[in-house]
This record gives sequence, structure tokens and C-alpha cells, in this order.
Amino acid sequence: MNFLKPYIKKYAKPFSVGVLFLTFEAICDLMQPTIMSKIIDIGVANQDLNYVFKMGGLMLLITAFGALSASVRNVVASNVSQNFGMGLRSDLFRKIQSLSARNLDKFDSASLITRLTNDVTQVQVFTNGLMRIFVKAPLLCLGGLIMATRLNSQLAVVLAIVVPIVALLIVINMRVGFPFFKKVQKALDRVNGVMREYLSGVRVVKAFNRFDYEVNKFNGANEEFQSTSIAATRVMAVFSPAIMLTVNIGIVVVLWVGGVRVSEGHMQVGHIIAFTNYMTQILFSLMLISMVFNMFVRARASAARIGEVFAEENQMTWSDQLPATTTRGRIDFEQVCFSYDGEPVLKNITLTCLPGETVGIIGSTGSGKSSMVSLLPRFYDVNSGSIQVDGVNIQHLDPKKLREKIAIVPQKTTLFTGSILENIKWGNENATQAEIERAAQMAQAHDFIANTPDGYHTRLGQGGVNLSGGQKQRVSIARALVRNPEILILDDSTSAVDVATEARIKEALKTYARGLTCLLIAQRITSVIDADKIVVLDQGEIVGTGTHEELMKTCDVYQQIFQSQVGKEVQADV
Amino acid sequence: MSKSKDQAAPPLVSSGPGPRAGFGGQGRGGPVVKPKNFKATLQRLWQYFGKERKILTLILLFIVLDSVLMLSAPYLLGKSIDAMSLTRGTVDFGLLELTVFALLVAYLTDAVLTFLQGWLMAGVSQRIVKNLRRALFAKLQKLPVAFFDTRTHGELMSRLSNDIDNVSNTISQSTTQLMSGVIVILGTLVMMIVLSPILTLASLVTIPLVFLLTRTIARKTSVLFKNQQIQLGKLNGHIEETITGLHVVKAFNHEEKVIEQFDLVNSKLSEIGVKAQIWSGFLMPIMNVINNIGFTVVAVVGAMLAIKSLVTIGVIASFLSYSRQFVRPLNDLANIFNVLQSGVAGAERVFEILDEQEEPTDPPGAIELTQPKGHVVFEDVRFGYRPDVSIFENVSFESEQGSSTALVGPTGAGKTTIVNLLTRFYDVTGGTIYLDGRDIRDYTRDSLRRSFGIVLQDTYLFSGTIKENIKYGNPEATDAEVEAAAAMANADVFIKRLPKQYDTLLSENGSNLSQGQRQLLAIARVILAKPALLILDEATSSIDTRTELHIQEALLQIMKGRTSFIIAHRLNTIRDADTIMVVDQGQIVEQGSHDDLIELQGRYHSMFVNQFKNLEGANE
Repeated sequence: MNFLKPYIKKYAKPFSVGVLFLTFEAICDLMQPTIMSKIIDIGVANQDLNYVFKMGGLMLLITAFGALSASVRNVVASNVSQNFGMGLRSDLFRKIQSLSARNLDKFDSASLITRLTNDVTQVQVFTNGLMRIFVKAPLLCLGGLIMATRLNSQLAVVLAIVVPIVALLIVINMRVGFPFFKKVQKALDRVNGVMREYLSGVRVVKAFNRFDYEVNKFNGANEEFQSTSIAATRVMAVFSPAIMLTVNIGIVVVLWVGGVRVSEGHMQVGHIIAFTNYMTQILFSLMLISMVFNMFVRARASAARIGEVFAEENQMTWSDQLPATTTRGRIDFEQVCFSYDGEPVLKNITLTCLPGETVGIIGSTGSGKSSMVSLLPRFYDVNSGSIQVDGVNIQHLDPKKLREKIAIVPQKTTLFTGSILENIKWGNENATQAEIERAAQMAQAHDFIANTPDGYHTRLGQGGVNLSGGQKQRVSIARALVRNPEILILDDSTSAVDVATEARIKEALKTYARGLTCLLIAQRITSVIDADKIVVLDQGEIVGTGTHEELMKTCDVYQQIFQSQVGKEVQADV
Repeated sequence: MSKSKDQAAPPLVSSGPGPRAGFGGQGRGGPVVKPKNFKATLQRLWQYFGKERKILTLILLFIVLDSVLMLSAPYLLGKSIDAMSLTRGTVDFGLLELTVFALLVAYLTDAVLTFLQGWLMAGVSQRIVKNLRRALFAKLQKLPVAFFDTRTHGELMSRLSNDIDNVSNTISQSTTQLMSGVIVILGTLVMMIVLSPILTLASLVTIPLVFLLTRTIARKTSVLFKNQQIQLGKLNGHIEETITGLHVVKAFNHEEKVIEQFDLVNSKLSEIGVKAQIWSGFLMPIMNVINNIGFTVVAVVGAMLAIKSLVTIGVIASFLSYSRQFVRPLNDLANIFNVLQSGVAGAERVFEILDEQEEPTDPPGAIELTQPKGHVVFEDVRFGYRPDVSIFENVSFESEQGSSTALVGPTGAGKTTIVNLLTRFYDVTGGTIYLDGRDIRDYTRDSLRRSFGIVLQDTYLFSGTIKENIKYGNPEATDAEVEAAAAMANADVFIKRLPKQYDTLLSENGSNLSQGQRQLLAIARVILAKPALLILDEATSSIDTRTELHIQEALLQIMKGRTSFIIAHRLNTIRDADTIMVVDQGQIVEQGSHDDLIELQGRYHSMFVNQFKNLEGANE
């Protein structure tokens, strides 16, 4: 939990101030029963109105002071916890943005999101709780014990029995409850799982008419969830009355013993009232402490998960000096080997792309095509060998500077909330409207954009949900083109676009791509057939490089791919 | 929902169910989503109580009993104090014994009753919620595909889990709290008046103050919490987007801009959060002051009355307990009302789904399609997903029994719509589709859909074993049949390599298999279902071409003798089809065999040339 240190340092002072006022608050709370008992014992018993007024005033004064302390504590606690939460969230977000893909692969994105949202909130709530009740509860408990004992040490014997019993009950409660609630959570997950599965597979369910099966499956999960949660709630239903009963019996005993003591002349009646007051207060703080403990366990788990992200270090290094380059868009892979986690993904890749060249990369799923291009913008660094862009080893380049030269159209289209215009502008913030439209035209996106009522200002929902797959891909291509890069990487980025549109995009690129180095990953041979060079990847190795004609003669794998795509008729001609 | 315990302990009394494990970090005074029609929804929810109403009545009885007991506790306490004279040495042990014994009985009974309440209530609320969940899921079976197409899974899941949770909490907590709260307040008031009308008046002085305060603060905080929720939603949206799209953020060097946006929302959130927290945090300390003012007033007035011997000390002691007891449930009631409101709002959203228009039931006299032959005719079919946007205008074509029809055309041309219409996921808005000479609307939906086998681009596998997944379309199939189907689909090769073979457990949506393997399983599933007609909707588009070769063999196998519809944008998959239809903007623009269409030199030809000219040229 080292990551918490700077925050502790930063907020130690206001935190202490908060706790100080919390202590005042607790002391005021503790004094109240004593004064109340005095009002009854002395004021009312002696029918001394003046005393009642005096002590009543004192009590109000103390209460007011307590309220004032509470308010100060409230303001301090709110500020500290919210600012702490904000700072932690912001730092975590920055940290995530600064990490390399290799770091981030350790977490899936759903888990990163949970860490940023739930886990931070959990820790923040705990901090706030610390300054609100968590510190107060032990204070109240301890103070209550001291005051009660001071008030009457004989009656305190009752406390010595009641408090351990209650503490024991609370511990048992937590011990018993925890596994139960885990079970309930599991059952609930199953109910939700069946539901989610049904929602995604609704067409299949309908097509195969399996309603009864789905309903039965769901009812089973539902039934199980119901019985586990009933069992859990019922077990827990024992503890609360049991704890209350213990304390109440304690009160009865105090009354009886107190009566005896009063008759012996050792005690005043008001003490009994005050004493029972302290008892409920102690009970109360014990319950709070049990909650504190629960919260602590959860907050600690969250903090640990946040800590895992902070513990990641981006291993990428670079020198700040930018060596002068002469060429624009030359790429050299030299004996590049790469693996994500031990299993080699790329083996001895050597390849040169000259400026202005279009290089097609083809191969079956899992052959390493996407991995190969993700090395170029330093999403990942090579394990051995080197990659040079314009003659400079990219290991020495600041990834930011490097990425300025490169534009990527990723396989999985990712668009962001905002207008289409804003999305395309991601590629180049200073692009003019004319440049944006030109890029959209080349990506064959202009027409459909212009046909929407709001044109380029059409707002996209999260992830661009209101566009079709093909439309999203075209916006994504426009975003890359507007960047005006030295190197363009198209990672199977026309898979959802129909053949005719794809052909037009390729045509436009041909004109545009003059002088631009273009890496083109594709499934279809037709997409790469007129590339200057085609690289055939198979199981992480280059098994062929050359033009289509050359590869048809020399490369077995290429021929297989070709045959699989052309169909029987042509196959027969071969 | 959670009530704050950040206050001085109640003196001398056990409050009904005892302090709940409510910890007021966020929940307290949280935003309340108001139901649109509170009363009607509540009435409707009441219908779901059904048999539980009897048990609920029993619980109510327990609560009344328990509340009466708890009301008598301060009285008994006061009596026992009265048994001890303030002047030392004289204690009426007879009275003390009696009151102490009575108290003991009261406390014991309270514990038992509280336990019983909790025990019974757990059953009641869980069973009601279970029935609600069951009704909801059963409803989902009857809703048309259009319902699912127009809503995100997140939205539906939130109704199915969060909203129902809300309902459950409302039933289990609010009902008991509400009932006991009301009874305690009324009972306390009665007891106080019986004890001393003058003191009652004195203690009620602070009540308007309490009301005023809670209302002002609640109004202030509810706006703030609502805003906080909105900001939180924005922040979460931003986080989700930028984290899932992290590669793109990095590729375009947008880290700083994304952080900037993040900080903007983040600081706004914390700004509102501070305000909301401060405002809601003020309530308790101020309430404490007011309570103590009440206490002092009662003590002063009490002392004055005692001096005039109008009340005993014991009465004052019990009275002070009562006045505390009176204020606490008042505070709680405001909270309970919030929980109740959000619970009812949740129920309302659940009911909204239950009220959705179902897929119309089959008309009386609908025919069971027993042995479909597979002769399909589209006659002047018109259709639009929305009434104002037409996708199809007068589409007509015929597919002979056992023939294969391929649909090609640009994205959005309406290829998939034809499939949606054939299977009656959607119904035509005009014209007729005939199967074996009858309007498909004459058949029962079940039997119609059973006659189609559909392979979608996005294969959907369920969590379960491979065998279960293959048997999904034909649960009665034997193991031998399953294996035969898998063999036909070329799936047996990879299945046999798995350690548990056909009993391999698939994780959700089969993510432990490759795309190609999943597709092969989906094909095996269709083979086993033995449909008369076959629909392949981009069945191989997300698979690389070498794997596709495998799958294509399997597909050709099952297409034999079956009327098939093939949607594809890779033209090589469809060259062998008997009829190829080029669809564009809801119209069939060309129709014929591959050779016919090539000869025609039209759209298909140019598409084909685009895709193949280089290949064939290179080949010559």
C-alpha cells in the first residue's frame, strides 16, 4: 500500500483536525448522560428549578459545542475524503494512461474500470467513515466504559459480563454471515449469468424454440438464489435480537442491583438512569466497530487492487534527443522476436518497407499479423532484434514522437462519445473542415455522413452505437487519414465494408498514399493483391515475401490461401 | 437507504429491530428516483403479495405486539425508578420485583418477536421477488426480437437486477420499518399524553423544528445527490470509453486530452460531492441539538411540575425516554419514504417490461408445420423497421424446394432483413411470404421457426458442455447422433483433441474456443436440428479463409437437398448458388445464376470483377 503514502502525507493535517473535532464531538456525547442524571438526581429530586435551568443550559451549551465540532468535522471530512478520492482517481487514471500495453495486458479493461470506479469509491468512503464514525466508535465505547465505571464501579461488573457477550455475538455474526453472503452473491451471479446469456442469445433461443429449456434453467437459478438468500437472512435474523436481549437483560440486572444498592444507601437513583444510558451507548459503539471492521476489510481489498496498478512500472525507455532523419516512412524489422508471455508470437522477422511502399501482410488468424504492427508504434517492445523507423531504432524514440508519424486503423473500431467531427479530429486536432471532409471522402464516409440530418455534427453514442459496423470502420479510416501520417497501418479495417466500397477506398488510398508507407493487414488476397510487396505470415514466421505473382510460384501457404478464397472453379483451372 | 447511526444512543429503550448495519457513506439521502405513478404501482405490487398476504398480516400482528411491548418498557422503567425513593434507603422491593420481572418478560418477548419478524419477512420478500423475477423472465420469452434490438443489454440487465433488488429491499425493510415506525409514534404519543398532557405539550415544542430542518436539508441534498449521480454517470462513461479504447488513445497520442477531460468531470464530481456530503452531514448534529433542547425543556417543565407534586420522578424518567423514542422514528420515516419511493420506481420499471407488447400469439386455427418441403415465395413484400423508413418495397422472388439462393449487396441493403422476415422475427408490413404454398403467418411460429436452421455470423454458444450446445436444437438426440453431426460439421477433429472431448465445459459465449471452432459447433447444432430450410447469415465472414475452407465443406454437406439462403459479402462463397440476388436499397436489382449475372455485365459483374479480376488475371 505504498501508493497511499503521498496521500497520507498530504492529508495528514486536515485529517488530524477532523479527528480532533470528532474527539470533541465524542466527549460532548459522553458528557450528556451524566448531566442528564444530575438534572434528575439533584435538580428534580431537590426540586431545585435553578439547578435544572443551570444544568439544562450547560447541557445545551455542550450539545451546541458538540454540534459545532460535528459541523467542522463534517466540512473537513467531506473535503478531505472527496479531494482524496478525486486525487486518487485522477492519479490512477494518469497512471493507466502512462502504462504500456504490456503492463495493461495484466488487467482486462473491465477490471481496470472497476478499479477506477468502485474501488476508488470504496477507499474514499472508508476515509470519510474514518473521520465520521470509525474513530468515534471506539472513543464512545472506551469513554462509555470509563464514565460508567466512574459512575458506579459495582454496576460496572454487569458491563464486564454484557460487553464480552455482545462482542462475541458480533464476532460470531460476522463469521457465520460472511460465507452465507458469499453464497448469496454466487447464486445471484448465476441468476444474472443466465439472464445475460439469454439476452445475447435471444435469436438462437427463438430460432430453436428453446423457451422451456431457458425458463427451466432460469427458474432453477432463481429458486436457488431465493433459498440461499432466505437462509442467509434467517441466520442473520438471530443476531440482532440476541444482542439487544443481552443488553436489555443487563439493564434489568442494573435496575435490580441498583435497587438493592439504593436501599442500602450506596447509590442515587439518577445513577441508574445514567448507567443504563451508558450501556446502550456502549452497545451502540460495539455495533459500529463491527461495521468499521467490515468496511475495513472491503476497503483494504480495494486498496490492494488499486495498489496493483500503481505498482506497475512502464519499462519503456527512450532518449530525449531526437536524431535527425533523412528519410520519411522507411521501416526496418531486423530479426525481431516477440512474445506476450513466454510463448513466441513472432520469430526472426526481418523486413524492410521503403518510403511510399504499400506492404500487404496476410496469414491466418493467430499468425502474428496484428502483433507485428503493434510493435511499430511501441505498444509493445521487441524481445530481441530491432525495429527502425527512418533509420532510428524505435527503442530510442519517445513513443509520443514516434506515434505522431503513424496512423492506425485498428481491427476493432473504437469511436468515442462526441460528434463525428470530433471523432475524426482525433487524428489531427488542427484539421480544417476541408481537410476533414477530404479524409472522409477518401474513406467513403462523406456521403453517409452528409446524409444524416446533422451531418458532421451527428452525435455518436458511447462506442458509436448509432452507426453500423461498416460506417464505424469508415469513420475510423477517415480519422487515420486526417492525421497525414508517414506510416499508415490498416489492420483488417475493411472487414465490415462491402466489396464495392472497399474497392473505392483502395482506389482513393492509391492516389493519396503516394509517398506514404502503408502496412495493410488483410484476410482477403484481393485486398493486398496490388501491394508493392506481400508478406505471408504463418505461425509467427515470414514464409514468403514478394509480389502476388512471385508468391503464387514460390509460397505454399500463399497458394493455399489463394485457393481457399477463389473457390472451386478457378481451382480447377490451376 | 442506510440510516445513519451517527448520533447519541437512545436511552433505556430497545428499538424494535435494533440498530441495523446501516453505514451512511453514500447511501444516506441518496438521490431518489421518483415513481411516475406511486399509488397505481404500489397497488400492482400488492397483487404479487398473493399468498404472502396472510404471513404479512401475521408479521404485522407481531409488529403491533412488539411495539406495544416496547412502548411499555419506558413506562416500566419509570415505575421501577419510582419504586426507589429519592431519599436514600427506602426501596419498595415489591414494586421493583414486579416491574423488573415485567421488563424481563417484555424484553424476552421482544427478542422472540423481532426474530420471528425477521425470519418470516425473509421468506416473504424473497418469494415475492422470486415470483417477480420469474414473471419477468417468462415475459422476456414472449417479447419480439424488435424489443431486444432496440435496447442495450446493460439497460435490460439493470432492470432485471438493480430494480428488482430495490423492490426486494423495499419490501423487506421499508414495510416493517414503516409499520413499526407509525405504531411507535402513535403509541408514544398516547403514552405521553396519558403520563402527562402538560409534559407532552412541552416535548412537542421541538417537533416543528425537526420537520422544518429535515425538509430543508432533504430538499437541498436531493438536488445535490441527483447531480452527483449524473456526474458520476458521466465520469464512468468516460472511464469506460477511454479504458476500453486505450490502444486508440495511445495510438493518437491523446493521453493528455483524455486526462484533461477526465479531470474536468472528476473535479466537478468532487465539488458536488463535497457539497452533498456537507449538507447531509449537518442533519445529525443539528438534530442532536434540537433533541437536547427538547430534553431540557421536558426536564425543566418536569422539575417545575415535580415541585408542585404534579408528577413523580419516575414519570419524568419515563417521559424523557418516550420523547426520545418519539423523535427517532420521525427521522427514520423520512428515510423510509425515500427507500419506498425508489423501490416503487424500481417496480414501475419492472412493470414497464411486463406491459410491453408481446409477440402476438398464433391465431386460432394456426397450422402446425409438420413436414416442410421448403418452397418459398416472396410476393410484393414491403417492410420497414420503423413505420416512416421503408426497407423493402415490393420485393418478389421464388425459391424452389431444395434450391440455394444467395443474397449479395452493400451493407445496409436489407439482406439480413429478408432473414428476419422469413423466420418471423419481424412481420411484413405489406405483401405475403409463402412457404409450401401458404402464408407463413398461417403457421404456428414455433413450427415455422423449427423448420429453419440458422447459422449467424456471431455464433452464440451457451455456457455448458459442448454436447449440450450441439444438442441445443434437438435435446432428444443420442450421443451417436451428436457425434455424427459434429463429424459432418468437421468439428469432431478439434473436439476429440480436447481433454474432456464432448463434455468440455464452455465458458460464457464459448470464449475458450477460437472463432472458427465456435462456428463449427454452431453448424453442428444446426445439422442435428435437421431443419428443412437453411439460413447462413454471413456464417463465415469473421473467419480467416483457410479455416473457412473447412467450414465450407461442412456447409455444402448440409445444404444438400435443403432450401438454403446464403448471405455473404465474399463472393467466392456463393458462386455455386442456384440463384444469386443482388439487393440494393431494398430492391432486388439483379437475379440469376452466377453465369447469367456475369453475362449480364451489371452490378454483380462489376462486384465480381472488383474482387476477382486480379486473381483470375494472375492465374491465366
